[in-house]
Amino acid sequence: MVGEGVLDLGRFSDPALFVLMSLAGGEKHGYAMMEDIEEVCGTKLGPGTLYGALARLERRALIEPVSSEDRRKPYRLTAAGEVALEKRLGELRNFASVGFARLATT
Amino acid sequence: MRRIARRLVRLYPEAWRERYEEEFIAALEESPATIAVLLDVVLGALDAQVRPQVSDRRFRMVVRLRGSVLAVLWSLVGMVVAGVGFQKMSEYGDFVRAARESAWVGVSFDAVVVGAILALAALLAGGLPVALGAIRGAFVERRRDVPLLFCAPLVCIGLFVGYAFLVTKVVYPAVHPTGVQSPVNVAIFLSIVGAFALAVVVSAGAVSTAVSRVELGEAPFRFALYPAALATLAMGVVLVGTLVWGLALRALTPGLFTGDGGLLSTSTTVNWLAILAVMAISTLVAARAVVRGFSARAGS
Repeated sequence: MVGEGVLDLGRFSDPALFVLMSLAGGEKHGYAMMEDIEEVCGTKLGPGTLYGALARLERRALIEPVSSEDRRKPYRLTAAGEVALEKRLGELRNFASVGFARLATT
Repeated sequence: MRRIARRLVRLYPEAWRERYEEEFIAALEESPATIAVLLDVVLGALDAQVRPQVSDRRFRMVVRLRGSVLAVLWSLVGMVVAGVGFQKMSEYGDFVRAARESAWVGVSFDAVVVGAILALAALLAGGLPVALGAIRGAFVERRRDVPLLFCAPLVCIGLFVGYAFLVTKVVYPAVHPTGVQSPVNVAIFLSIVGAFALAVVVSAGAVSTAVSRVELGEAPFRFALYPAALATLAMGVVLVGTLVWGLALRALTPGLFTGDGGLLSTSTTVNWLAILAVMAISTLVAARAVVRGFSARAGS
């Protein structure tokens, strides 16, 4: 389970990637993630979509809750989460490079 | 709109809600109240139902452990009611004399008392960490209902003591019933027994509800299984003590055993058998719950 990456999430990849990206900037609770994702990625995630992604990521041990007295439980990236995010961003960088290169030749 | 969204959370699977409901509602309360958010919650619930996101195994284990511990609590309720009946019956002078004359009657009565004290001490030992964990969880989750539910046993005891005082010190002297089996005396006795049973059942119900409303995890229940096993053992001691008490009484003074020395001057034998039956059922239920609890614990 821990070894599974973001790519295994199929059509749920995008929200999961946004969450990982958001948590790469530090631990956050649900609503803070929604605001951060909207600001950085321009995508408005609803609470249902966000918690679907959070539950899947937690199950894969890519993120973990931080102990808190607040109802709004914060989350942070695990080491496996950092690796998964790095791998996925690397793939996107290659994808973007190829895309830009092809556009330049047309 | 937010109220509707909160209601829609119930569409999520139970295991999911147990894990995420509180924080999800907190995020929902901060989100704008729009139809898009409502729809997002419905789709999220549908997604969680179709593709379970939370492991059911751990949730089921916690539910089984909690069920086992609460079943022992309810068994103790049965035992307490039967035990109070036994104490009330055996406090009459003839039974006290029999306990002094026969070692078997005396020792078995002492065993009942020791078993009862041990069972209640085990209940406190196992129940306190669960109750403290639940109250702590309630403050974290900002639930007012849970601490209030834990106050219910104190309120029930207070009400019962007040009622019993009123009936025995005010009503009884005023109506002054003639004869043990007179309708007024029977009504007064039954009302006190009923009030006591109601107080015990409401107390146990309130505690059970409080414990079930907070996400406690498995640790306090895993620990509580040991005191629960001890309480069950103590209930067994009470049961055997009551059985030996009756048999020894029958051998020592058959006339007393077959006479009308029971509650409200009814048959001693019938009273003893009824008390024994309730104790036996309570002990069996508790033993079964403890076995199920340990099997769930071993399977984790």
